[in-house]
Amino acid sequence: MTMLAAIVQASPTPLPAPGAGVFTSPFLLSLLVWVPVVMAVAIAFMPNPRGRYDVLMKQIAFFTILGLMFILFIAYNQFQNFLPTMQYEEKVAWLPAIGVTYHLGIDGPGIVMLLLSGLIGIASVLASLGVRERVRAYFCLLLLTQASVNGAIVARDMFVFILFWAAAAIPLALLVLGWGGPRRSTAAWRLLGYWGLGTGALVVGVLALYSIAGGQSFDMDVLLKASLSPRNQIVISVAMIIAAATRLPLFPLHGWVRDVLAEAPVGVAVIVAGATTRLGAFLLLRTVIAAEPAAGHLLSPVLAALAAMTVGYAGLAALRTVDIRHMAAYLAMVPGGITVLGLAAVSPLGIAGSVLSMFTGGLAAALIAGVCATLSERAQSRSLSVLSGLAPRMPNIAWLLIIAALALLGIPILASFTAEVMTFFGAFKNQPIGAFAVAVGLAVSAVALAMLLRRVLFGSPNPDAPGVSDGSLGETWYLGLLAGGLLWVGLFPGGPKIPGTDFPLFDPGLLNQMTAGISDIASPYVAPTPGATQ
Amino acid sequence: MKYLVLLPETLVVALAICVMLAGRFAWLPATARRYLPQATALVVLVALGVELWAGATVGSYFGGALLQDRFALFAKAAVLLTAAVAVATTDWTAEDSIPLGLAMPLLAAFGVMVAASAADLLGLWAGLELAGAAGVVMVALRRPDLALRLLVAGGMASALVLVGLAFVYATTGNPNLAGIRAVIGNEAPALSLAIPVLLLLGGLAVRAGIAPFHVAGLQVGLGASPLGAGLVFGLSAVAAATVGIKLAAALVEIPDVYVPYVQVVAALAMVGGGAAALAVRSPRPRLAYLAVSQMGWVAAGVSTHFRSGIGGSLFLLGAFAVAATCGPALLGRAEGGEPAIHGLGTLRPVRAAGLALAMMSLAGAPPLAGFFGELAVAASLAQSGSFVLLGLGLLGSVLGVAAVLGTLRVLYIQSPLEESRRGAAAALPAVTALSTAGAVAFCIVIAAYGVFGYPIMGLADQGAEALGLR
Repeated sequence: MTMLAAIVQASPTPLPAPGAGVFTSPFLLSLLVWVPVVMAVAIAFMPNPRGRYDVLMKQIAFFTILGLMFILFIAYNQFQNFLPTMQYEEKVAWLPAIGVTYHLGIDGPGIVMLLLSGLIGIASVLASLGVRERVRAYFCLLLLTQASVNGAIVARDMFVFILFWAAAAIPLALLVLGWGGPRRSTAAWRLLGYWGLGTGALVVGVLALYSIAGGQSFDMDVLLKASLSPRNQIVISVAMIIAAATRLPLFPLHGWVRDVLAEAPVGVAVIVAGATTRLGAFLLLRTVIAAEPAAGHLLSPVLAALAAMTVGYAGLAALRTVDIRHMAAYLAMVPGGITVLGLAAVSPLGIAGSVLSMFTGGLAAALIAGVCATLSERAQSRSLSVLSGLAPRMPNIAWLLIIAALALLGIPILASFTAEVMTFFGAFKNQPIGAFAVAVGLAVSAVALAMLLRRVLFGSPNPDAPGVSDGSLGETWYLGLLAGGLLWVGLFPGGPKIPGTDFPLFDPGLLNQMTAGISDIASPYVAPTPGATQ
Repeated sequence: MKYLVLLPETLVVALAICVMLAGRFAWLPATARRYLPQATALVVLVALGVELWAGATVGSYFGGALLQDRFALFAKAAVLLTAAVAVATTDWTAEDSIPLGLAMPLLAAFGVMVAASAADLLGLWAGLELAGAAGVVMVALRRPDLALRLLVAGGMASALVLVGLAFVYATTGNPNLAGIRAVIGNEAPALSLAIPVLLLLGGLAVRAGIAPFHVAGLQVGLGASPLGAGLVFGLSAVAAATVGIKLAAALVEIPDVYVPYVQVVAALAMVGGGAAALAVRSPRPRLAYLAVSQMGWVAAGVSTHFRSGIGGSLFLLGAFAVAATCGPALLGRAEGGEPAIHGLGTLRPVRAAGLALAMMSLAGAPPLAGFFGELAVAASLAQSGSFVLLGLGLLGSVLGVAAVLGTLRVLYIQSPLEESRRGAAAALPAVTALSTAGAVAFCIVIAAYGVFGYPIMGLADQGAEALGLR
């Protein structure tokens, strides 16, 4: 609780990491966005007679993402968590005729999302090493997806944000369409339909904001600080909620998630469940909670209701399904609901929990989607009536599935515990009914997970089932990376310290880094009574 | 030096005539004839360079009949670039006549240039007809029956435009666009003006191929040679849109006489084009319907009757010109429906990339030229409070992107057709140094147009300002 109290301080002054701010680069964030694009183009035009360089292409994609992770680690370590302002900012006039600037920057929630994107990116490439067909196109599209996710996270101009938000849909839909399972067409069209609807809502919301703010600039510093009437705030916030609900996804705009996560190749399922969907929560945080406090207060019960319906629906649907990948897809919706509950709490603690939950929820969702996809591939069946008693025959995957289940439920030692504690502590104060409903939904999900574990891992072995083998080294590594991330942040939320001192060893601690900017975002909600207007 | 500004027009017309005469009288030896497309593309690029260098000088010519302002500079530069890239990307083995195939895009570009610089109604009409006639000639080379249909449809459109122009002239007593605007500024909107404007815009809609008036042009374009189709879908439509923008600027003081009509047509085109593109599978009709949808966005920008909206439309029109004209040319002979382009990404990677980018740009997919243009128009629609039109436009774009996804799958994910099953209708485009360079240039233009759009959008904005818009 001391740690939680420290997070909610209005002016957090955690100890900076030694050397924080020493390394600066005027284009660090641009590197994170454009290096994958450049490498994707390079892969696209690389000569590859009869697939001779397929392995090289996989290596290029892997080392590109690894290089990005290295840059990201520098950014994370050098991040000055005592500053509430945007960092690593880049600002260049782009299309001044309509007020577009190439403006990038990150604060605490941004660095958390970038870290998530980096980890998920590596896991996704590792999970894709088994791709044999059209390797060039696959890794090209995967790198473009990674670039668009990074771009949406670091964008500080709404035009740039829309550009990357919308751009993510095309490579992902093609990946599902080209490398997916038997129902890939349905999955891809659903993905495009729902995400298209969300993008449309986002564009309408942003353009309404742009027009109300005078039509001079798309910069978030202008748009999100514009003085709006509560009515306008609500209209714009509703558009943003629709956009976020299609992406996160939230009930009832979740229609794509089952098909996409069940039909997509494993690497794509990981990146969708882990990174691209978290952008929905990030959008809500940036545009509704941080920018429209009046709407944030008024719509918080709606957000809490959406969160409760999402978690409840996901749990019930997971209980009813007989397909392990469908079950994983439904369960991957649960962390999104918890994140939104934290935002609906409109309190500093709830918002901080929500930001941490984006990271932990992304890892947990990717882990459950990835482990179930890998398990079904290794066991040559997706049917829960066939899969039974697999723990002795696939011990690595069994352990990872257990960790995924525990992470979804927020068990101590794992990072999702901290996130869920913060979220529920914040939410029970301001949204008690919503928080209770989410807790009930979580209990239903726990039942579904228990049934999954009991049957698939510890049931009596099915003699008629096809042959089973444990995960390969690559599969174990990518799943282990996701599980390791959850364990590391769970064990060292404030980073490991040099023994006997308060100085961080090499990781300044995710909880410390994420606080930068949260106090600013939460400041309108600190007062006991909500303000009528900004 | 004053007339140096008109050098691009002179170069284009002279080149078109020379190429036609060289073809007719066989002046050139066969070896030299092989280099005609290269030479043509080079001269058009020189004309573009001259336009960008000398065209910045504002002035009027021939007693005020032609104006060189920022609008003219933008439109002329855009069509010259389009013509150069189109000539370079075309698979000339799939065309029916190289001399006429080279000359007609130049004449169509000249028509747009005349319309863009026209200061009066006569110049607008002349430019429009010239561009339309070039399309008819290109179609006639392969399908005289379809050319006749286009001629009849074009004739009807011309009649509507002429009647409309005549009524506008009779109402205002002035053929000059600036004069019309000055006279109209003092009058209230009246039915006597609204009806001729409706006729006029109806004729232009037929010429531009905007839904629901796209039927004639679209069917004809599908039967033409690749470059002929590009001319019908692209440059002819650009000429009509250029005339439409100039007329809208002249009538801007009484927007009530044209805005509702343009809004309805824009909505139909955006949604209808996107839905139709999703409904068809063959690549050329899909390109055509995507072009219809994007032309709807151009019309939507015009309907805002503000400088920002018209500037956005102009910027988008530049992107449209390049993508809609060069798209069918990149597709080449692949007229055998969707199977003809199965696996084209493997067999002809550069052309496939060009085709994919053309379609994505026409659908408004990020981060290509069409996306930036459509978002610029969308911003102006939001500013003018036209959220219904904006929503419909976004719906059309989503449908268009879904359609393009289908084509991308065929291009890059499907296996190529077996050679034994590949008939003449599914023949692969010939690979030449020029066509490869043209496809590369097209990819660069369509990707860089928006990403490095700072000066281009600035020029489009100045173009709208030059029309006297606020």
